[in-house]
Amino acid sequence: MKTFLNIAHSQITGLPGAVERGRLLDVIERQGLPTTTDEVWRYAPLSQFNIDTFGAPERSEASPAFINDLTHHADIVVQIDNGRYVAAQGDMPGVHVSWRDEGAIDEAPYQDDAFALLNTALHPHVLSIEVDTDVSAGTVLLVHRVGTGASFPRTRISVSRNARLTVIEVWCGGTDAFVAPVSEFEVGDNAHLTHVTYQRLDSSAWHVSRTTARIERSGRMHQSVLCLGGQYDRARNDAELVGPGAENQLWTTFLGSGDQVHDLRSHQMHHVGRTNSVLLSKGAAADRSRSVYTGLIEIERGARRTDARQTNHNLLLSPQAHADSVPNLDIRENDVTCAHASSVGPLDELQRWYLESRGVSRQDAERLMIEGFFKEMLDVLPTDVARVFEADITVRVREVVA
Amino acid sequence: MRNELVIRDLHARVGDKEILRGVNLTLTSGEVHVIMGPNGCGKSTLAHVITGRPGYVATSGSVTLNGTELLTLEPSERVREGVFLAMQHPLEVPGVRPVDMMRAAGVTGNVESQLAEQSRRIGLRTELMERFVNVDLSGGERKRAEVVQISVLQPKFALLDEIDSGLDVDALGLVARRLHEATKEWDLGILAITHFRRLLHELTPDVIHVMSHGKIVATGGPELAEQLERDGYEPFREIE
Repeated sequence: MKTFLNIAHSQITGLPGAVERGRLLDVIERQGLPTTTDEVWRYAPLSQFNIDTFGAPERSEASPAFINDLTHHADIVVQIDNGRYVAAQGDMPGVHVSWRDEGAIDEAPYQDDAFALLNTALHPHVLSIEVDTDVSAGTVLLVHRVGTGASFPRTRISVSRNARLTVIEVWCGGTDAFVAPVSEFEVGDNAHLTHVTYQRLDSSAWHVSRTTARIERSGRMHQSVLCLGGQYDRARNDAELVGPGAENQLWTTFLGSGDQVHDLRSHQMHHVGRTNSVLLSKGAAADRSRSVYTGLIEIERGARRTDARQTNHNLLLSPQAHADSVPNLDIRENDVTCAHASSVGPLDELQRWYLESRGVSRQDAERLMIEGFFKEMLDVLPTDVARVFEADITVRVREVVA
Repeated sequence: MRNELVIRDLHARVGDKEILRGVNLTLTSGEVHVIMGPNGCGKSTLAHVITGRPGYVATSGSVTLNGTELLTLEPSERVREGVFLAMQHPLEVPGVRPVDMMRAAGVTGNVESQLAEQSRRIGLRTELMERFVNVDLSGGERKRAEVVQISVLQPKFALLDEIDSGLDVDALGLVARRLHEATKEWDLGILAITHFRRLLHELTPDVIHVMSHGKIVATGGPELAEQLERDGYEPFREIE
């Protein structure tokens, strides 16, 4: 990784916290990048990953046409090219969007994650979205355009007490790119954040993302993650439920084709009682693609009356496709409700028959059901917004499900 | 042209168990036939075998629509020939919207407005058609949604598997009247499975069949329903 780090050192000159960033790069160089002998990277095709092939990001690609339709449904639209803020259009009272110099960097939360550490050392600034107390805000659309090379976008979203916000992030472009975004969410007392990620990067891209959420008393966060693109696509979505009544819903889905690998990870940490998390992961793997689902629910001692559930369903569309499902529970309290279920198998036969019994051919029924995995994830959005994505999903699913 | 659905000496099994043991029945356009019978006699199995439910296997006999054998066709092809099943327990299909399902079933034109119009005709809130198929719908709403689909697809024949269960009195009246209108509007033929006479008040059947142990054991007019209500199924068990 010497070539990459040489470029990286030159890039951080002039950035805030350059000295600390340089020190962190040195730490990363000493530790090295993970290998498949590390359990958490066991399923990643790291032997195909050579970070030295990724230079500074080049001009980003044009965004697909459906994004123009999406902009009509958003109150604020922010364009980010290769992790750098370009422009914001629109405004909402009580919502503040800024491109911020965060000063000192804090690598402590990411000690176990070399790619998140790289982001910590190399992100240019932080895109910050803050919602004031008691503000019921509309929708912010973040359009990430990714060009060839390595980029490290960083986002922080903070929803204050009794406030509401919906954020939609779309990732596009990414030919021969390596993009490692980190996003941090803070959901205040009785606040509500809905966050939807729609990742449709080029099939040559390496996408290694990480999100962390901190949810306070009676706060609610719904997160939908839709993964279509990437050669290797890793989405790690963590949440810490720190106040009684906090809720976290995480819905993830993927559609794999060619040699794609979709690697979905989650860690829900229930620090206190009467907290609730629901994880639903559904996806389909075609051709020679692979998927991995690894979810950990952790419940601390004393977190009584916690309710935590995780469900993972994988559909294999070809004999060469493969799916691994690794649900984990770490429970240190007795007075809890906890459940997990996982399956790898075909589509639900009776649901398919229901569609066939309406006159839908078997092939179209299967296509509709796979599209349905994605549409279900978009159900938190208003129907007119979901429809924009659905049209794009239909095109993509038809490419894969011949 | 009068359409004709002919079930001839139909035998069928579910798993290793023989359920249908030689069903014969002929239904023509615009007619309303009702099948009544005790629990487990094979009424729903008949509907599922005709429409090709997985696991329901016809072992002999035939079901033809205007001379075309249905049992060798895929389930969707049977519908396109003109036979539709309104289910007793309509299934949820998360992620699939009724409008997309109807388009995939071959409905053309403004499908949204067709669904909305037909929903209004039977008092179903039109916004329910925006949800995924049957998801978060009550039992009664699902039954009405099945009737909306019949009205949009306009099949030649509708098999109604306990369409009356889960419906309140008012909804039952609306549904039954809508189906009765359909027998005039596009000559829909109906084969209704029910346990209750109240459906018959609005649906005005032409023929009533009694089924027992996988066979039709009696056929008659509306007076047969009155006899069933008075005497139960016991006398028909003796006929076997």
